[in-house]
Amino acid sequence: MTLTIAINTLREALRKKTLHVLIGLGLLVMLILPAIPTTDEPDAQVKMMLVIFFQVVVLLCITGVIFLSATSLPCEIEDRTIYGILSKPIARQKVVMGKMLGFALLSAMLLAIFGLLNMVVIQRLASNLPEEYRGIVKARTGFAASQFDIQGKLHHTREGIAWVEGGRAGIARWTFSGLRKNPANKAIFEAEFNLKIESSRGFADTIPLFVSVEDANRHQWKTEVLPARADKPFIVKLGAEGVQENSILHITVFPVHPADYIGVTAKDVKMFSVQKGFVTNYAKAVVVTFLKFLLIVVIAVMGSTYLSAPVSIVSAFVVFLCGHTLEYIKDFSLLIQCHDMHEHALPAMLKKPNTLLVYMDYLLKKPLEWISFVLPDFKRFDSLKFLLKGIDIPLETVGVSFGYTALYAGICLFISAIIFKKREFF
Amino acid sequence: MNNYAVRTEGLTKVYRDFWRRKSSSALTNLNLTVERGEIFGLLGPNGSGKTTTVKLLLGLLFPTSGKSWLLGNPSSDLTVKRKIGFLPEESYLYKFLNAEEILDFYAKLFDIPKKERKRRVDSLIKDVGLIPYRKRPLSQYSKGMLRRIGLAQAIINDPELVILDEPTSGLDPIGSREMKDLILEFKRQGKTVVLCSHLLADVQDICDRIAILNKGVLQVMGGVKELLSQRDVIEFMVKNLSEIDIQAVKSFIEERNGDVVSINHPSSTLEELFVNIIQHHR
Repeated sequence: MTLTIAINTLREALRKKTLHVLIGLGLLVMLILPAIPTTDEPDAQVKMMLVIFFQVVVLLCITGVIFLSATSLPCEIEDRTIYGILSKPIARQKVVMGKMLGFALLSAMLLAIFGLLNMVVIQRLASNLPEEYRGIVKARTGFAASQFDIQGKLHHTREGIAWVEGGRAGIARWTFSGLRKNPANKAIFEAEFNLKIESSRGFADTIPLFVSVEDANRHQWKTEVLPARADKPFIVKLGAEGVQENSILHITVFPVHPADYIGVTAKDVKMFSVQKGFVTNYAKAVVVTFLKFLLIVVIAVMGSTYLSAPVSIVSAFVVFLCGHTLEYIKDFSLLIQCHDMHEHALPAMLKKPNTLLVYMDYLLKKPLEWISFVLPDFKRFDSLKFLLKGIDIPLETVGVSFGYTALYAGICLFISAIIFKKREFF
Repeated sequence: MNNYAVRTEGLTKVYRDFWRRKSSSALTNLNLTVERGEIFGLLGPNGSGKTTTVKLLLGLLFPTSGKSWLLGNPSSDLTVKRKIGFLPEESYLYKFLNAEEILDFYAKLFDIPKKERKRRVDSLIKDVGLIPYRKRPLSQYSKGMLRRIGLAQAIINDPELVILDEPTSGLDPIGSREMKDLILEFKRQGKTVVLCSHLLADVQDICDRIAILNKGVLQVMGGVKELLSQRDVIEFMVKNLSEIDIQAVKSFIEERNGDVVSINHPSSTLEELFVNIIQHHR
């Protein structure tokens, strides 16, 4: 019966003009925006297509889905079509579940249509890219360094960043091990460097760097002098043979010129195993995005079990926006807390309590803490950052997102069922 | 208790405002019994509590106090709804669906198997005379057509108890007559019908028993014939009697101290006249 309600909900949505306009707008965006000139980078168009889908089209679809799901139940109650449903042998919680499932199906359908279209366009664009720029249509798995140290002289440390002077005065070294767990896996490896650079020779946006990759077990190494740019990471490719099952790789870096400096941390060099698998990675990103849709659908339907259509739409949008700005809310809460502590200490010393801050403590800090705790964290569903860097979305990320959605949706469903069960229809 | 199709005991509904303060009493201490297989009329002016009673029976509203049973089960029992059909006051239907789709949708809510569903949908569309319009969205239906499809959805599950709220509202006299014939057919099939209406003529035509509500309070309940019969008045209906014979009968009655209240020709109802004319022209 839940499925019957869900299919009817989907059918209603599909026959609404709102959805037709939404699909039309989505297609228009996907056709027009790629025509806007991008930077000279060959992969800029591919990146643009990813951004268009995962930000613009997804936002457009979410807006439509919020609008439809937040108004569905209130409209049924207002039109009294709900009488026809509730006079039949169907439990009220199944009606709510059916509504949620119906809009989840709609979301899946929208994501499948636009996602497929976008992927086809990306594949076509990527087929014309030079090989060195095709990393964006690969799926890279990242490895952090197991060890990081500075050999020789450390010039100075500022804000957790160690600065190394050029001309072999100091050498930054990252060590990686256990990179190839499966010997049958023939993925190639690459090291990505995100270093900060400075030079006392005047302004320089590029400095020469000496980079060495050494396999401690096989006594093989590769050295290169590479230009490092301030605004862009650079990559050293190791190939499939460069990394073996028992390889322990030492990556050492120092500026060639004595007047140049590099600022480094343990996280600034990452190893990636590069495999074909863009389609799978893209599918994972779409699945994670679908979970985001699912969450907002559940929240919108939950609101609509009690609120009127306009209030329900507004509240769902507010939750959606706040869910994306959760970090700022947390930061604000923290800010008040810090300020509060500092300001409290002073009046205590002066034996003169600051009444305003005491009120702020109760009126703002606690509610903000609670809000940030209760609101859904939509930022965790951001899969675009992985795709733009060509990084494989770890299955754990998908799993955690799934678990989070299941838990949050379960709680919302429970609350909705209770509210709707107690509701009277006059 | 199982002999009753509907039974209420002290059923009371008090509407409250946002602050839970009492705003009005919609129904007060209603004790009602509807026997199985009868056509029962629930009468009363607007705001008398008829629709509130139906909503309480169907679980759309919750009673402030009192209890109710449908077909021997508490009305809150979900399974009893499998045996109930309900036609609301207005045809509250999904206008984006067509006749076939809406009947199929409601049939699915009763878990009716696909094959049987198709058979019932086809049969009901035929019964309510909507075959030519079966694929047309309900948004393009007239009020009368919506009422017919509304009735079809109410009996899609072949219910034992049919609750009809103002069933003839929006129907023309022909449709109204067909609806009344259909209700009588339900009775012949052994179904119980609860009819809410303020059209007294309709109720008088078809109901076995009635209850009259006013301001949420039950005023009277009983058989239509018993409630309407005037025990001290006798009516003869005679055919082919001359004026002289009429005067003779009158004199005979007066000699035995009877009062002749009226002597006239019985008239047909306007509805009968209308139906006869329209059907003759068809």
